[in-house]
Amino acid sequence: MTKITVKVNGKEYTSEVEGRTLLVHFLRDQLGLTGTHIGCDTSQCGACVVVMNGDSVKSCTVLAVQANGAEIKTVEGLAEDGKLHPLQEGFWERHGLQCGFCTPGMLMSAYDLLQKNPNPSEEEIRHGLEGNLCRCTGYENIVRAVQYAAAKMRNEEPAPIGAKEQVVESVGS
Amino acid sequence: MSTLIGESIARPDAFGKVTGQARYPGDLVQAGMLHLKVVFARRPHARIRAIDSSAALAYPGVVAVLTANDIPYNAFGLIEHDQPVICGDVVRFEGDKVAVVIAESQEAAEAASKLVTVIYEDLPVLSDPRATMASDAPLIHPERGSNILFEQPIRKGDAARALDEADVVVEGEFHTSWQEHAFLQPEAGIAYIDEHGRVVVETAGQWLHEDRKQIAQMLQIPEEQVVVRYASIGGAFGGREDLSVQHILALAAWKLKRKVALIWDREESMIGHHKRHPISFRCRWGATRDGKITAVECEVIADSGAYASTSAEVSKVAALFASGCYEVPNIDVRAYAVYTNNIPSGAFRGFGAPQAHFASEIMINRLAEKLQIDPIELRRINLYREGSIEPTQNRLPPGVSVRECLEACLQEVAQRFDRTAPSSASHLKRGIGIACGIKNLGYSFGYPEQSTATVEIFGGATMDHAHVRAGAAEVGQGTHLILRQIASEVLGIPFEKISMITDDSSEAPNAGSASASRLTLMAGRAVHDAALAAKQAWEAEERPAKATVQFRPPATTPFDPVTTAGTPNYAYGYTAQAVEVEVNTLTGQVRVLKVISVHDVGRAINRQQVEGQIEGCVAQAIGYALMEHFQMRDGRILTPHFSSYLLPTALDMDVEITPVILELADTNGPFGARGMAEMPLVALAPAIAIAIHDATGAWLNQQPMTPERVLKAIQEQSA
Repeated sequence: MTKITVKVNGKEYTSEVEGRTLLVHFLRDQLGLTGTHIGCDTSQCGACVVVMNGDSVKSCTVLAVQANGAEIKTVEGLAEDGKLHPLQEGFWERHGLQCGFCTPGMLMSAYDLLQKNPNPSEEEIRHGLEGNLCRCTGYENIVRAVQYAAAKMRNEEPAPIGAKEQVVESVGS
Repeated sequence: MSTLIGESIARPDAFGKVTGQARYPGDLVQAGMLHLKVVFARRPHARIRAIDSSAALAYPGVVAVLTANDIPYNAFGLIEHDQPVICGDVVRFEGDKVAVVIAESQEAAEAASKLVTVIYEDLPVLSDPRATMASDAPLIHPERGSNILFEQPIRKGDAARALDEADVVVEGEFHTSWQEHAFLQPEAGIAYIDEHGRVVVETAGQWLHEDRKQIAQMLQIPEEQVVVRYASIGGAFGGREDLSVQHILALAAWKLKRKVALIWDREESMIGHHKRHPISFRCRWGATRDGKITAVECEVIADSGAYASTSAEVSKVAALFASGCYEVPNIDVRAYAVYTNNIPSGAFRGFGAPQAHFASEIMINRLAEKLQIDPIELRRINLYREGSIEPTQNRLPPGVSVRECLEACLQEVAQRFDRTAPSSASHLKRGIGIACGIKNLGYSFGYPEQSTATVEIFGGATMDHAHVRAGAAEVGQGTHLILRQIASEVLGIPFEKISMITDDSSEAPNAGSASASRLTLMAGRAVHDAALAAKQAWEAEERPAKATVQFRPPATTPFDPVTTAGTPNYAYGYTAQAVEVEVNTLTGQVRVLKVISVHDVGRAINRQQVEGQIEGCVAQAIGYALMEHFQMRDGRILTPHFSSYLLPTALDMDVEITPVILELADTNGPFGARGMAEMPLVALAPAIAIAIHDATGAWLNQQPMTPERVLKAIQEQSA
């Protein structure tokens, strides 16, 4: 067992973990943060994406001991002071989810993307979310949700609902 | 007049889902619960000579090892009970269960599961459905006397004679493959005995009351002693219609009287639940020179895999649509569902219709080619219309709108597709494909169809709030929101004042399954009628006012055993879909550039949700058509992970999708709504095949149309 100290969503935790414990299991089983999901065994699905020291990581491919001293943000830490993050708003407003199982990972990948690129093109959004699988939405509304959040975070007015045709046009061009 | 119907109200469950508060089955596990680990057969066909659990039982932390002997009634299944919960004598596919290890920790359960020793005597592996049908083939279920699980002819007119007399006859053979549901949340759940002595299972599924029924049967206890509750469900698509872990959880809790938990990993999920049926079609279509289709003859063979599941029903659907959405006077279809030692096949969005349309929609284009008639014109001549006679010799239910779908689709094609757009390189060829489709909404062929809902209104002088009870599974499709919108609209009280009680088999009445595109139509109508009745009770001063309504649609019937006539369905959905593709003739890769997906939904209760269903289903259809290749060899699953079974990503789906919603009312649905959630999967794969042909001249007859297959077809075409 190894002692680790990790800051998760602004709160510091000190725990004993086995060397083989994955970060996702540490978050879910030891800290009870079940918003981070497990959807596959091969690091394909991205349901477990969290942000570690400012970068998105698949928490199923990080050992808990590697997170020692790290600062981690999970979906539970996205809303601040009871106010939803623009990305959370966007996924709700733009119907960016159906079953919702991929949503936490999508949100955290998109969060990382918008931190680094506040005004991404549609192509950049699709690239940014390439490592996250969604089986329900076909990704269309997820892209729109991220566009909504990006506009809001730049203090711009998001495109109104019904601006879909314009979005559609820009895909093909 | 109406205020809420058609409104794109945002889904209330989104809050929990964007904050991480939503609890999926795997999130319900708590300290102190026992953990279950299933021991799978991992071989396709073998006799069990002996099972030795002693080493597993001796492992520290292990509490019990359950085997076939521990089960009061060791058989289950949606249509017939031919599948053992845990196998005791013979295993018939890789994912058969032979034991369940129960331990104080997941690690102990896992380690001990490897210590269960099973001595097998391997039996011949039957993996080819056609070979398996031979009368001298070894039997997979010997007590049945045949490997043919189900056989159904459909005869209308005299197809043999009509083919003889036809001006033109086209022959074709088509093969479709398995498709994995790949819902993102692998099977999981917990179970325990509650204070009333009932066994409670908290999990994910598609039909509370059917799960309850099968579990009660297994334990040989009254249904009231079983409670099934659904947590947040991480997708389903038909893949949670059969029991997978629900009964195992119930069995363990019932035996040990302790709280138990089970979480499957992705590999367990992939080998542990059924898939879409691979179906092969051998067909001959005949027509007159001026384009009237006179005959369709087709042999339909569905690979049922090791157990029945819904194979008989899927085969009936595939047989009914072997002639597509065309009125054909002479039909001779012979459909079979065949046992093999492959993974069982069962329900998957579309339920036999996508397979049948892959054959029928390509056939009509090939017929058009031979007749030298425009394929759209040929469709216009033969498409179903109001009053058309089905292959089962009955009149179609009213509301036949496939022609309207096709014309709307053509309008969009004219606006959005550019036939003259040059390719960026000479090896990139562009093509367009258009296909039509039909699919039943709701249960077919006499299967009992009903949906029940209860509405209760509370308040004094005015209505204050209401409870809606309907056991309808929210698998992500948004049904709880739809039902709430309907209730709010009928009662005339704000949406926020309606509470939904939907996820507990002891609290909500049976609304039927989340399948067959039926919940908006069926549960929606039950909620609509119950709300109306409760409102009348309210007006009659009843406080609280309460009404329960069981809605039954017009009856359907099985095939007549002699004439094969019948009334297969009470409602259909119709679609027309168009695609523009770019084919790389050097690699065989197909890129879908644009999709137009036209659907008559009767009435869109929530437009945003309908568009979401179309977009999501189109993604599954593109995966089905081009990339999702579930492979088995000699009964062995070769693709049990997302690393080998590829799903469309956000980059693969960089496709311009135009959903077109037509609102031509269905007579049964609430506010005229009819179901639509499966429809975008019905005609898209053949539309893509037609587009590939348009681009390259090559015909594909096998799904998925992988680069290797496309390249081979192009090379054979040019040879």
